[in-house]
Amino acid sequence: MTATAPLVSERLCGQLQQGITTLSWSADGEFLAIASAGGELLLLDFRAGCEELLRSDRDSSLNAIGFSADGQFLMAVGQASELLLWELGETGVRPMALDPIPLDAGWLDAAAWQPRGLLLAVAAGRQVRLWDGAVRAWRPECLDMPGTVHALAWSCDGRRLAASCHGELALWQPEAAPAAMPLRAPTGSAGLVLSFSPIGDLLACGQMDRSLLLWPEAGQGRPWQFSGFPAKVRALAWSDQPGRLAPGLAVASGDTVVLWQQRNQSQQGWQPEPLLWHQQRVHALAFAPDSNLLASASADGTVGLWDSRGRLRQPLEGEGQGFQALAWRPDGRHLAAGGDQGRWWLWPVEVPSRERQRRSGGAGFG
Amino acid sequence: MAFTSAIPAADRLPVTVLTGYLGAGKTTLLNRILTHEHGLKVAVIVNEFGEVGIDNQLVVDADEEIFEMNNGCICCTVRGDLIRIIGNLMKRRDRFDHLVIETTGLADPAPVIQTFFVDDDLRDELKLDAVVTLVDLKHVLLHWEAEEVQEQLAFADVLLLNKADLVDESERLAIERRIRAINPMARLLTTHNADAPMDQILGVDAFELERALSLDPGFLLEEHAHEHDDAVGSLALVEERPMDLDRLGRWLSDLVAKRGPDLFRMKGIIQLKGEDNRYVFQSVHMLLDGDFDRPWKPAERRCTQFVIIGRDLDPEGLRDGFSACVA
Repeated sequence: MTATAPLVSERLCGQLQQGITTLSWSADGEFLAIASAGGELLLLDFRAGCEELLRSDRDSSLNAIGFSADGQFLMAVGQASELLLWELGETGVRPMALDPIPLDAGWLDAAAWQPRGLLLAVAAGRQVRLWDGAVRAWRPECLDMPGTVHALAWSCDGRRLAASCHGELALWQPEAAPAAMPLRAPTGSAGLVLSFSPIGDLLACGQMDRSLLLWPEAGQGRPWQFSGFPAKVRALAWSDQPGRLAPGLAVASGDTVVLWQQRNQSQQGWQPEPLLWHQQRVHALAFAPDSNLLASASADGTVGLWDSRGRLRQPLEGEGQGFQALAWRPDGRHLAAGGDQGRWWLWPVEVPSRERQRRSGGAGFG
Repeated sequence: MAFTSAIPAADRLPVTVLTGYLGAGKTTLLNRILTHEHGLKVAVIVNEFGEVGIDNQLVVDADEEIFEMNNGCICCTVRGDLIRIIGNLMKRRDRFDHLVIETTGLADPAPVIQTFFVDDDLRDELKLDAVVTLVDLKHVLLHWEAEEVQEQLAFADVLLLNKADLVDESERLAIERRIRAINPMARLLTTHNADAPMDQILGVDAFELERALSLDPGFLLEEHAHEHDDAVGSLALVEERPMDLDRLGRWLSDLVAKRGPDLFRMKGIIQLKGEDNRYVFQSVHMLLDGDFDRPWKPAERRCTQFVIIGRDLDPEGLRDGFSACVA
């Protein structure tokens, strides 16, 4: 148990002009996009072994980026209140930029592609709008919210879209037939981050009032509320491995990461385990796909790699920069991270076999 | 509630809040701040994009969304849009070293101020430098009864009495007297075209405790309550006898619990019994902050000075409560 082999022993890195705001992998893991607070957008193409700066520093931040599920489009939104889209061709071919789509809705910082579909949800002020990649146009219907939308998340089947603003969470099924009214639930605070569990249909909402809301049935019914976090709940990540009743949930609040496991069905059934090690704010969390290995990125200049028992397996250093963003490659063997001074890293990670389970394996030792 | 941050003030980004009724000259002042050769890179959050019209500056639009943090109590309101936008802006912090927030002419400044003390992130990353309020000397009396006007005067650290060229001396002095009745603490500057010296507007440090009452030294040395018809007024209390910190703390906690929504700002320098250091204190609505300061100087007049700015103040009740805190 003690003298374990390091999980990480080499790395790739690079530098943008301003702090990295977000990173995103294509579903096949062949492309990594990296965005900065200066509006730079860098695309790494692993099959071709090249990189392309799709957009240079223009003093206007990009805050959310992502590849469509089929890998056809790359999107980016940010300070300029425009939706930027690129059409990706074969590997090694420069992506073609579509005309920017102005939204005139202030600083855009939430947008998400539908899993298994071609709808792109964009939080535009007090509306959630849907850009349909199949017809390359906005859908006429949109979701109206009583306040500025802070967070968006799709359920893993791509059918439901959750959106949060101050005081309310809305659940929308934009493709339901016949069309259904969105479900709306009061939250008492502003939901800053939303995430559906990959299995088990849970919806987690991290709130500004230092609490976590957890809906057992994908946002329907009554949520559990867990209060008393040290600060606003800033980041969430679900493991894709089945736990006893539900997959593990990691929550970041202030400099603390809390790992939650469900032991039984009661309000007290969720048990928190604080992972106390970071010294400054934790900005991002991500479980490695097909495993229980958790990465946490902090402004203190470290990324922590934690095993399923909450033990710190390896700290990674940021060369003096705080970390702001994290993204696992879908193969679960490479971790990308972004620093607040523009540096990015890519670490191959040897995930310990006991943290790695087969996706189909229902006969685990849970 | 915690008021100030554990992070040293020098490590936090200064923020100036610009208020003033419609037409008072906020845009003129904003343009002066942006073009002035003060060596600062200034980011600006405005409420109507495009109004400023200056290139090569970080100008961001906001929509004044108010978040009620606790059952609609006005003491717990913050500006949700500022939390979101400043969170995004801080990722670009190396591009600017001062932040200016312009509010609409009809805005209550309290939620803006409270945002910087209530929100975890903003409290640790920024420091409120000063609330700068512009007053249109020519027209302010027409809107004097407006709640926003009196609140903007009450919350100010720096008051620019602007368009002074459009009124005569006696009109200006009459307005000054009425303003002083509402806010005896703010620094008053008389200007024509919002042309105040930049160092009187930026880098004021008005919310740093050690400067609690230093903007206009000597003004408070006589106790007074201004009797005016205005709903918003002030009370200055002076006490030569040393005070008891426990009693004072209980009185203040009780006071803000009962009257918090009506108490806009309080500031004080307290002389405590058996204590060589000054105790300094300030509040915004229900947010209280106090700490020990430097020792009293030998030549300094040792006495407690306390200013309360609020709505419908009860001078006698406040004086009695205050006197009961004498050690």
